[in-house]
Amino acid sequence: MPIYLSVNTTAEIICFLIALFCLSGDKSAVWKSFIGYLFIVCLTETIGVYLRIQHMRNYLVYSIFLLFECMMISLFFYHIYKRYHHKLRMLYGWICLFLLVYLAEMLSLHFKSFPSLTATFMSVVFVVASLYFYLLIIKDEKFRQLGTYPPFWIVNGILFFYFGSTACNVFYDYLVNHEKGISPNLSIRYIIFNLLNILLYACWSYAFICRYYQKKLSS
Amino acid sequence: MQILSKEIVFLITFTTAIFLIAPIFLIVYVSYYNKKKAKHFEEKEALRKTFELELLRSQFEVQEHTMETIATNLHDNIGQLLSLTSMTLSSVKAEGLQETKVNTAGELVHRAIQELRQLSKMMSGKELISKNLGHAIAFELDWLKKGTDYEVLFTDHTSRSIPEHADKELILFRLFQEILSNIIRHAEATQITIVLEQSERFLSLVVKDNGKGFIVEEKKEANAGMGLFNISKRAKMMDGTFSIDSVTGVGTKISVSIPYI
Repeated sequence: MPIYLSVNTTAEIICFLIALFCLSGDKSAVWKSFIGYLFIVCLTETIGVYLRIQHMRNYLVYSIFLLFECMMISLFFYHIYKRYHHKLRMLYGWICLFLLVYLAEMLSLHFKSFPSLTATFMSVVFVVASLYFYLLIIKDEKFRQLGTYPPFWIVNGILFFYFGSTACNVFYDYLVNHEKGISPNLSIRYIIFNLLNILLYACWSYAFICRYYQKKLSS
Repeated sequence: MQILSKEIVFLITFTTAIFLIAPIFLIVYVSYYNKKKAKHFEEKEALRKTFELELLRSQFEVQEHTMETIATNLHDNIGQLLSLTSMTLSSVKAEGLQETKVNTAGELVHRAIQELRQLSKMMSGKELISKNLGHAIAFELDWLKKGTDYEVLFTDHTSRSIPEHADKELILFRLFQEILSNIIRHAEATQITIVLEQSERFLSLVVKDNGKGFIVEEKKEANAGMGLFNISKRAKMMDGTFSIDSVTGVGTKISVSIPYI
């Protein structure tokens, strides 16, 4: 059992439990769907670890997970942009483009490797989306207490994770094939992703707690 | 190859570190800008409030000036004309039925002069307030009692008048007139209770009626209570407080309190 509890999985499980506690009574379907998404995250990670222990390749699990990841974060961006009158067709357009790139890469790889180019492309789009959100906040005439504004912290987490992982994504193939890690089980990619995951899930957990208290105060 | 690998690993670590520091600066900048925006909003709001208060003050001054002018004209011009009419009528030498009619006309003119003087006095707020607010309210209530059959109870607990606050007293008196006018027009009340109280720091006016009452929130939402809105604004103009408590079918209680030291 302890082998399943890495830094990554622990951060994910804690975040999932916080989401479960804070968002289960939330009226917004988008916020509530974070519970389901984080459950899928934990499940994916567990399956990934299990396959690794069995000395089987786990890229397919993470390749499928990439679809959920893109859907959830895109949906959340659409949800926060909606108040600034953004159209649903933009979301559909982006999803179609993503699926096209994803399928093209998967086909070119014959479904035998992780679609790192698609992941990089998705990261760039999410970074741009995060920056655009900051621009909307700056331009917005309404003042918000950003220190406790949940969408702000969700986007902060997204920006940290996807902007921080750009270097790893760009050198993904090199790191997988050539890197000799600090120790056999401790590669630089693993350390960076641990750090990014902690940042991501810490920001998200804080956002869920803020959301919980705001809903509690307003009810 | 080993060296190259180390270099690339260092490059990736370094780039990732930069890529993590950049969002921190960005988040700090957005938060800082947002705080500046909040400060700007606060300043804008304060300016808007000051402007509104100034506008209200000007409106009040214009209104007061207009009433003063009307009161002076009533007293000096129409009052003089009526006095002349009265003198003319008294100089007419008539007999029998004509004498009775001339005398009746003289009495009517005399009553008109009295009413006119009372009306002009009531319109001229400064003159009414010259004694004190309690006196002005009592005068207004005397006028009310004459024309209507309201049961009016007035309690004056004021102990001293502060001449420097004559303007405040005048505004409070005008508020009282507005409240009274609202009761007469809308409340369908039979009893009106007025309490004027003075504490160390505040002068408070409480007006209660036993009318039909209303739902305060509904009035606010419908923007129907412009009179109430004005009373509230004027109370704020004097750094005072305004509260309204109304129960449908029971009546309404309005309290206005202003600093008075």
